[in-house]
Amino acid sequence: MDQFIQAAIIGVSLGAQYALLALGFTLIFGILGVVNFSHGGFYMLGGYVAYSCVAFLGLPYPLAVLVAVVATGALGWVFELFLLERLVDDHLATLMLTLGLYLVVSTGLLTVFGPLSMEFAFPVTGALHMGPIYVPRENLIVLVVCLAAIAALWLVLFRTDLGRGLRALADDRAVAMAQGLRPKLLFPLAFAIATGLAGLTGALVTPILSLSPNVGDPVLATSFLTVILGGLGSLEGAALAAFVVGIVEAFSSVYFGGSIGALVLFVLVLLLLVFRPTGLMGRPVRGA
Amino acid sequence: MKHRLFVAAMLTLPATAFAQNCEMKLGAMGPMSGGAAQWGLAMNSAAELAAAEVNQEGGVKIGGKTCKVVVVPYDSKYTADGAAAGSNALAAQDIHLIIGPVGSPEATGIKPVAARNEQISWNASYAKNALEPKFPLMFHIAPGPSGWADAVIKRAMKEFPMKSVALIAPNDQGGTDIASVDAEAYKANGVTTTEEYYQRGTTNFAPIVTRILAAKPDVVDTASSPPGDAGVIIKQLRLAGFTGAIGRLGGPGTDEIVRVSGGLDVLKNFYWFETVPTGDPKVRAIDDEYKKLLGKDPIGGTAVWADLPAARMTLKAVSIAGTDDAKAVAAALRKMPVDDPNIGKGYWAGKKQFGIAQELQFPFGVGIIKDGKNLGVERQEVKPE
Repeated sequence: MDQFIQAAIIGVSLGAQYALLALGFTLIFGILGVVNFSHGGFYMLGGYVAYSCVAFLGLPYPLAVLVAVVATGALGWVFELFLLERLVDDHLATLMLTLGLYLVVSTGLLTVFGPLSMEFAFPVTGALHMGPIYVPRENLIVLVVCLAAIAALWLVLFRTDLGRGLRALADDRAVAMAQGLRPKLLFPLAFAIATGLAGLTGALVTPILSLSPNVGDPVLATSFLTVILGGLGSLEGAALAAFVVGIVEAFSSVYFGGSIGALVLFVLVLLLLVFRPTGLMGRPVRGA
Repeated sequence: MKHRLFVAAMLTLPATAFAQNCEMKLGAMGPMSGGAAQWGLAMNSAAELAAAEVNQEGGVKIGGKTCKVVVVPYDSKYTADGAAAGSNALAAQDIHLIIGPVGSPEATGIKPVAARNEQISWNASYAKNALEPKFPLMFHIAPGPSGWADAVIKRAMKEFPMKSVALIAPNDQGGTDIASVDAEAYKANGVTTTEEYYQRGTTNFAPIVTRILAAKPDVVDTASSPPGDAGVIIKQLRLAGFTGAIGRLGGPGTDEIVRVSGGLDVLKNFYWFETVPTGDPKVRAIDDEYKKLLGKDPIGGTAVWADLPAARMTLKAVSIAGTDDAKAVAAALRKMPVDDPNIGKGYWAGKKQFGIAQELQFPFGVGIIKDGKNLGVERQEVKPE
């Protein structure tokens, strides 16, 4: 029973982190129709910006996280406005552009910071122990911040004019434009929100795990897997799928081991794609 | 007129007396990006230093000429296909001698391709088939765990008495070939073992840590997990309340492990294998020499020191053979005594395990951290097979 509770705690913690990543990823696909292969790059960049603020500028960690969000959001905004926007309807071109950006970011970080991991620790350490059950304090803080960020994103998308505009563009761009909505203003903004979320996750999670120029690789795979499971472009689906992925990963790894655990997750996605190709939520958000 | 002749003679003097009149390329291969980058970059640093030493003396002697050695690095990404592609890419540049690759998957990938390309390749993997008699141009930088695990365990048991150990490693050949041999060595010392394997690329080990701790082991050994992974595993083990000792019967990378895990206080009780006796001042002087000759610090930590003798011996063998032809260099290598100016005297080994004596065996080291205090790395002498 102890193991069961521990697996559930780990699963929820993983799920919140995956949700932040997947929401950004699916937001870009849902609104712009772009599969963002540079998502892991923004995660890494968030980690490195936060690390640099703490290590070189002496900023307190919470402020460093804020700087990381702004920096990754700003880079996303500039990238979309000046590069992606020109070819936004060409799927192959946007795929190559985002993949190229990922390679530039990861190679740039490798050149500047070197191949080894940074000494970047979360300011709060230790764990709350309740008998054999434990909850790392840092994971609790990350969980709270992740849930707050998810709630804030939901409020922006569903309770503001900006959100209504973004969702309208996602539903039917031609009709939205006829109503006066301007993609050239809103697309970079959506991209910036998504990359800011990836940067936030990187700044929060890399001090708990590790920070090196290759930590973005698995992020893309996890984000992709999560949004496919949830239904490409569906925000609710991505959030739900993130927790499913986190919990399945935790339980399968605890009970079957690291090798079979990874296999269980992929088999689950495979089965879902066979029986429900549109993902968990079952409806594509993006119009044809 | 006399003045003009003097000036002309002075201008031509450097070209005839000092300039090298040819160039020989030396390959350096290994993972130079990703979690195991430290080990591949160490290969490159070792090759660079050996080349700089030889170039300081003028270069290698090939066919009566003195040739400058130029190092060509290749990132084989810790994969079999990466190493195979690397062999072809280096062959396309007329490179017959390769220092590297590092990992077991890379060693598996390069063997047939390098044999076809007639290249010498020095792998540092701990694969059970790191060498094979059917690949006579393959050399091995250092023995795998069957050559040192027993000695490390015996030394560790004096500091950290143990009855059970859980080994954790990636689930590919780079992990299973080492962890399974480590497990046999623990069992031979009366320690019960469990083996846990994970998918390479895993970033969060919390579920696996929970699984490991359910077995209540006295010791957890990170075997050949990349140093970055090992650091995260140790950090999460300590967070979960594990207080036992942690071992590392695998590749070097203690500095990286200390950094990622959160420091000596987190590691607390730790023992590890070092390919060379890193506490020896003569061994540590390699870094000073690198900085003196190349004007920068080497990248790759203690693995540079372990890889250097192979690179030095290869270049020496080129001058003895008078060619960079792989078969001639291999023949010269086999006749050379194993003696490195920094590491000390060693032996050719490998006949017993692989059926071919093309493995360098030097004195190695056992490191101990006890109660958060680094006790250093002890030298362990070796005997010929």
